[in-house]
Amino acid sequence: MKDKLFRDILPRVAKPIRYVGGELNVIKKDWDQCQVKMALAFPDVYEIGMAHIGSKILYGLVNEESPHLLERAFAPWPDMEQIMREEGVELYSLESFTPLRRFDVIGFSLQYELSITNVLNMLDLAGIPLLASQRGEEHPLIIGGGPVAFNPEPFADFFDALLIGEGEELLLEFLSCLYNNRALARKDRLTRAAAIEGVYVPSGYQVEYKADGSLAGMTPVSSAYPARVRKRLVSDLDTAYYPDKPIVPYMEIVHDRAVLEVMRGCQRACRFCHAGTVYRPVRERSVAVLKRQADTQLKNTGYDEISLASLSTLDYSGVSDLVKHLVKIYGDRGIGVSLPSLRVDAFSIDLANEVQKVRKTTLTLAPEAGTQRLRDVINKNVTEEDLFQAAEAAFSSGWNSIKLYFMIGLPTETEADLDGVLDLLARVKAIGQRHSRRAIEVRASLACFVPKAHTPFQWRAQNSIAELEAKRRYLTSRKMKNVKLSFHDSRTSMLEGVIARGDRKLGEVILTAWQMGCRFDGWSEYFDFDKWMEAFRKCDIDPEFYVYRQRDYLELFPWDFIDTGVYKDYLVQEDQMADAAIPTADCRQAGCLDCGICIDFGVSLDVKEGKVDATAG
Amino acid sequence: MRLRAEYEVGPNHRFLANLEMMHVMERALRRAGIPYHLSEGFNPHIRISMGTVLPVGIWGKKEYFDLEMDPMDGAEFLRRMNQVLPPGIAITACRSLGMGARALMKSINAAEYAFQVNQRPAEVEAAVQEIISQEEILVPSRGKKKNVNKNLRPGLFALNVVPQGDIAVIKALVSVNEPLNIRFDELLDLLAKFGISRESIVEFWREGNYIKQGEQLLSPLVTP
Repeated sequence: MKDKLFRDILPRVAKPIRYVGGELNVIKKDWDQCQVKMALAFPDVYEIGMAHIGSKILYGLVNEESPHLLERAFAPWPDMEQIMREEGVELYSLESFTPLRRFDVIGFSLQYELSITNVLNMLDLAGIPLLASQRGEEHPLIIGGGPVAFNPEPFADFFDALLIGEGEELLLEFLSCLYNNRALARKDRLTRAAAIEGVYVPSGYQVEYKADGSLAGMTPVSSAYPARVRKRLVSDLDTAYYPDKPIVPYMEIVHDRAVLEVMRGCQRACRFCHAGTVYRPVRERSVAVLKRQADTQLKNTGYDEISLASLSTLDYSGVSDLVKHLVKIYGDRGIGVSLPSLRVDAFSIDLANEVQKVRKTTLTLAPEAGTQRLRDVINKNVTEEDLFQAAEAAFSSGWNSIKLYFMIGLPTETEADLDGVLDLLARVKAIGQRHSRRAIEVRASLACFVPKAHTPFQWRAQNSIAELEAKRRYLTSRKMKNVKLSFHDSRTSMLEGVIARGDRKLGEVILTAWQMGCRFDGWSEYFDFDKWMEAFRKCDIDPEFYVYRQRDYLELFPWDFIDTGVYKDYLVQEDQMADAAIPTADCRQAGCLDCGICIDFGVSLDVKEGKVDATAG
Repeated sequence: MRLRAEYEVGPNHRFLANLEMMHVMERALRRAGIPYHLSEGFNPHIRISMGTVLPVGIWGKKEYFDLEMDPMDGAEFLRRMNQVLPPGIAITACRSLGMGARALMKSINAAEYAFQVNQRPAEVEAAVQEIISQEEILVPSRGKKKNVNKNLRPGLFALNVVPQGDIAVIKALVSVNEPLNIRFDELLDLLAKFGISRESIVEFWREGNYIKQGEQLLSPLVTP
């Protein structure tokens, strides 16, 4: 296999280095000595998949701390796919060039709704039937996990099992369960696995719909399957596994640097945010542990940059200490620190200043909405004053460009909110102009709001493509010099919305779309909206049913059986407060908001470095 | 000090592009704790400069880079780097240079490529003789100037056939950089033109890079 690839296949494709493996720190275990052989399949290209922290964790965890084996596979770019099909080359793992078909388990990382056609394409390239119902004893078990699996129903037809929540403990239990029951038939092994908390086996449930198309009920076919599937989580990040020797790719990947995960979860409770609900509660890692991890990571990788990752790194209680330490120890060797997302306030800029002593970074702030009213609706606790102070601090310390993130199509949005975005941009630019004689640049990225399952906005109607396009035209009609607006594609967002709140009926549409040639739907050069709409028509399913409808509080949702630990009552209350534009405080300062997670899961808010900065709000 | 290192890139790493190879070296320098020098400015980088580009798809036995660093024993540099480099990539030799020494890119002007050809040595020898007897060999340029024919003949310094049992290895010493840069893919085109098809070439690599002074061929490591 490898010889053929090196001689006949790879010289004909772009970026062959994507397909050869053999990187520094790769782990190649002895196939015959391992219990369960699993392939971790990332449904996107190598340079995207290799940046994913969760995959790095699972890769090290299974290979270093268990008797099982985990090898990697990525979606081949269309040029490679074509040659693989012409030459009859099956999808293989990068560690041992073993065809994926020979593994016991293939696990897909589901980070983005639209990567599902790549999942199907990878299965097809591996010679594995796409539908779980058509797979037999000779085929690997196909599993999935990741944030998108919190609404697993649109993918139910394709997966034998979905693992809900954080994988550190769950995946090892799942693999060991398969090994212990290896003498059993495929179906019985899955039934056994369904007893593990966090494992969802779609074939174990019967789904019925009402005449209006909404869900009537979801019933386990036997008592072996739980009525609700509870997410799994790690209670203490200090003792959780984190890789000391991550793989160092040869090719440049996105986020090409060492990564520390400083905390998991976010307590900001922004009402649009999916990750903010499903990854509750906040759990931090101690500065002492992070310092040690930084040291071993850098020693073992040789990276020139270390990134502090989390949903909201500036809220990490030890962020200041940690950044100062890293800059002091590694700065003079040319090793920089990067902060992925900044909080909108002056404190953040001070810290960003610390960071840019080593390397100049782009400054990115996310006010998300243009007016205070709308920011209160979405519970983005940022004031105009915060933003102007941040801009002031940034421009006065020498930055001459700034990037701002907004969303359009938010609930209750009016023309005044759109004007608000433009006004903010103009004022930020004016602040910059006061500090710099050179022209300063303000860039705004405007995403389309997509209501997500498990969030307070899960009942809301998504803006239609026409509405979003009208808003885009309105915003671009007022030209400002050196202010650049970029918009997310409204059609991509529409489809994302359909799948995000979709049900099992969508399986047929997804399969049809793939058969019609859809893949790499997250890439604008390959996304073909018309083909997708054609697939919906062929299946006689109305996509608008999933996105443009205001849902009733009493409606049963396809994802309600997934227990994220957050009460539905809490989500209702948050949604109602949004209508009244009443913000909700951060539970680290305001005290418990009774969302349910801590009591229900017997965990607690884990703030490692003492009291949180009270100015944070 | 300025250090010049010679390294080999094995067949498993043939798909690395030049920038990727530079990153491999930079990361190895950091892992090995080599006292490298950094550039000034907003984005400090290691003062390393790579020799002539090794094209994607081929591997090389004698490649070079220069590095500015604090004084360090050469044997120690070799030991520390080879401990941390991925298997298949290794530093084979190094020496210190005066700070004023000519840059690699400005001094390397010849490279030797090897082609293992799955044809009888006598056939290969005949094809090579045919090439040598030409006064002019025009091949479409693969470089930046497209649609131009390039005469490769003056840049073909030596072509030799080494029989290896039933097959043969062609060793081609050619001109690179200024004044005439013969690209690896142009060499493949040239061979094809004289009956040595791409399919019959089972393996190829770069034997080495040299500084050619008149008839003398010097290693970049031994030049003053």
